[in-house]
Amino acid sequence: MSVPVRSTALSALLAAVLLLAGCSSQQQNAAASGENVLHLFNWNNYIAPATIQRFEQSCNCKLAQDYYADNEEMLAKLAAGASGYDLIVPTGNAMDTLIRQGALKPLDKSLLPNLKNINPAYLDSAFDPGNKYSVPYAYTLTLLGFNQEKVKELGLPTDTWAIIFEPKYLEKIKGRVTVLDSQRELMAAALKYLGYSVNDADEQHWQQARDLILRAKPYWAAFSNTSYVKELAVGNLWVAHGYSNDMFQAALDAKKTGRKFSIGYSTPREGAVLALDSMVLHQSGARPDLAHQFINFMLDGKNSAELTNLTGSGNPNMDAIRFIQPEIADNKAVFPDRELLTRLEMLQDLDRRQRRLLSRLWTEIKLRNL
Amino acid sequence: MRRSNIWLWSAAALAYAFLYIPLLIVVVYSFNDSKLNAEWVGFTLSWYVALFNNQEMLTAARNSLIIAVSASFLATLLGTMAGLAIHRYKLKFLPVLVFTPVAMPEILLGVALLLFFLQVLNLTLGMVSIIIAHTTFCIGFVAIIVRARLQGMDESIFEAARDLGASPWQTFRLITLPLIMPAVVAGALMSFTLSIDDFVITFFTKGVGEPILPIQIYTMIKVAVTPEVNAISTLLMLLTLTLIIIAAKLDSGILRRETK
Amino acid sequence: MPALFSMIKGDSKANRIAKWLVSGPPLLFLLVFFVAPSLIMLFTSLRFPGEFGGLAPIAAPAGAVHGEYGLTLETYQFFFSDILYAEIFLKSFAVAAASTLICLIMAYPLALLIARSEKRFRNLMVLLVVLPFASNFLIRIYAWMIILGPESVFSHFINTVLGAFGIAPVTLLFSSFAVLVGMVYVHLPFMVLPLYTNLEKHDPALLDAAQDLGANAWQRFWRVTWPLSLPGVFSGSALVFIPVLGMFAVPDILGGTGDILIGNLIKDQFLGTRDWPFGSTLSIMLTLAVLAITALAAWLARPAAIPEK
Repeated sequence: MSVPVRSTALSALLAAVLLLAGCSSQQQNAAASGENVLHLFNWNNYIAPATIQRFEQSCNCKLAQDYYADNEEMLAKLAAGASGYDLIVPTGNAMDTLIRQGALKPLDKSLLPNLKNINPAYLDSAFDPGNKYSVPYAYTLTLLGFNQEKVKELGLPTDTWAIIFEPKYLEKIKGRVTVLDSQRELMAAALKYLGYSVNDADEQHWQQARDLILRAKPYWAAFSNTSYVKELAVGNLWVAHGYSNDMFQAALDAKKTGRKFSIGYSTPREGAVLALDSMVLHQSGARPDLAHQFINFMLDGKNSAELTNLTGSGNPNMDAIRFIQPEIADNKAVFPDRELLTRLEMLQDLDRRQRRLLSRLWTEIKLRNL
Repeated sequence: MRRSNIWLWSAAALAYAFLYIPLLIVVVYSFNDSKLNAEWVGFTLSWYVALFNNQEMLTAARNSLIIAVSASFLATLLGTMAGLAIHRYKLKFLPVLVFTPVAMPEILLGVALLLFFLQVLNLTLGMVSIIIAHTTFCIGFVAIIVRARLQGMDESIFEAARDLGASPWQTFRLITLPLIMPAVVAGALMSFTLSIDDFVITFFTKGVGEPILPIQIYTMIKVAVTPEVNAISTLLMLLTLTLIIIAAKLDSGILRRETK
Repeated sequence: MPALFSMIKGDSKANRIAKWLVSGPPLLFLLVFFVAPSLIMLFTSLRFPGEFGGLAPIAAPAGAVHGEYGLTLETYQFFFSDILYAEIFLKSFAVAAASTLICLIMAYPLALLIARSEKRFRNLMVLLVVLPFASNFLIRIYAWMIILGPESVFSHFINTVLGAFGIAPVTLLFSSFAVLVGMVYVHLPFMVLPLYTNLEKHDPALLDAAQDLGANAWQRFWRVTWPLSLPGVFSGSALVFIPVLGMFAVPDILGGTGDILIGNLIKDQFLGTRDWPFGSTLSIMLTLAVLAITALAAWLARPAAIPEK
């Protein structure tokens, strides 16, 4: 091939690449031209697409979301320089860290008239006295989800963590169980089963929990933070340790696709983790105005109810209750009663030394076998 | 001889099947009218429609293209220089610098660059940090290809040019550059492919708000697998396939040189 | 080469300028974006983690009563304080070695076939090996999620066969087996290419000579082809072994409850535990391991062993 031909071909190639880049950038320009973009760093599956659409219409802006599956992941990404988020939805302990770190902007409550809708029981928590920085968004429980028909058929108890920790039960469901791929959540479940607090940081208790986990591990199919939702709904999994809103989603999916079984979920009697997630303003956000708009929008009873109706999260909004579907409102795993509440605990953040130790235990859990 | 050939053929056929069947399955299921990648239900294009309505995915594709074009441009420029320099001058330091990032597990470069960007440059992670990161590991690949091409050439041409009174620049522009052009193009294409494909380094050096293709795909795989992933995969395969065919047309020898 | 240098010698000042013009920019770029970051990583491994993630300041802030500031070797102490971390390195080595071996077994016949095919077919056959690389890395892993999934045709087939022998059904996805399959699949072409470039250079006359001397097919392979191909084997092995050693995506996506490799642990220090110093220490250890292996492979594949035709 002669040189001129070659360079012609080269420029043709370059042109093709640029054309491709150009084509898709046109599409993008249309989206970016609004320039009103609210950056939300949120849990996955924690807001309904319909809600997003209505918010985008009401504010004439775009909502851009990034997701995390774990508080630790969110904090790590922020520590690793992730920035530009207007709003984050951390759980109490992670929010505590963010506040102490000085990473949050105080709220301007004059922009939040709907704040009055929040049940005072969920305000003024130890993590943020006076709610200087945070407004409750929703809450979830970490609990057990299960395939109701299978569990009944095998005669397994569903009101205790024993089902994911005791070999005598696990034998019957080997390879059909997943637990959360979260150091804190799995340890919390193990600690609760052993009768300790989820925030117990005694090294010996941690080691007991590790041994409990190692004994049960051979029966588990995987550590899973997200895929269990689909696998439960399809019928591949029979028992999963996970979040209440995810279980709600799995149950809904199984129903919608007309499966022969149904997905149930319940809070173990030993107690469980309650995660109250709040909306906070990150320092790096460029649009606090839109962020306040979003918070106030989500505080509206109807919008907040939609969150519960569509994602199955617990709701701290008093005005929302009347819009919530009765079968959800009656679900104790979504709206725990007073008696259950006494057995729920919120996680507190660990210091750096405890984090390193927990990480080592976690490595042991993943690597070793009893 | 014949019997051993049969053995060879069947072993090779197995290897080829191993390489292609998985990809074929991905493509086939991208047309399957079911949310699950399990049984064949019926033909549909709905996953492609969903994909083209997925604004975030399109933005991610655009961002990845911009990154790949910029990084491969920079890497080709710097890598060609490095290849020339390593071939022509007795350098001790440069070859080590150029070839080490190629030989390291990607995660190490990802971690090092993450720490560097955050602590020293105080750079907000984003497209720029990804472009720099991709350039760093692509330089080596370009340099390897360019140097291999130079090594196969007859040195007397350069001597002749000089005897005829050409300046070093003239020699480079009129003799060297045209001769190494196929290697430069091959290097550029390889960088482009490596960049658009790279997950690990992107994972560590990406910022916020700008979706990047591999990261989007990773999230889709981890969170909710739908055949939309298959659709985007099929399209990506088509894109790189086209590039490779163009490259092969451009110079049928590129591939051989690349592998040497 | 000599001709080039004689050409250059003539005008030494212009030449020196040209040398710096050509080698300067890549050198500078890599000094800034490769050497400096590596040093930063080393430096980070000597520091304390910050209370909220990141790093503790080097200088103690005014009024700090106690606390951990400055430089330290504690992450290295922590690393060596428990055999756990040696275990995870060993396990990563084992997975890398197994992947390399399987790749070699699969790649060798293929490379040999290509090298012995007619010249005009070779390029196409090589292209067919490289082509799967045209798909995205994650997609190549994802493909195996489909194939090994519990409801897949393949899983049903395997379990039917196992069932016929009275063996309990197995789950293929989320297992060490899946991790190994994924590793091999992603890295196979890295093994084929160097092997092929080596095998292609072999002089067929050698095999003819061996045949004339009465060597059978197996002897011809084992006594002639294999020893000559060793440099290709070693460089291909290095190209598979090293990336597998640092891989976290494959275990992440295909692995089960026990599939954690050194790469996953490093990733977790940065994107989970917020322990940069320890993550850096682990990275330094991995670097050392890789350097040792590269040195070994380079030594084994040293060019003196290649009799050029």
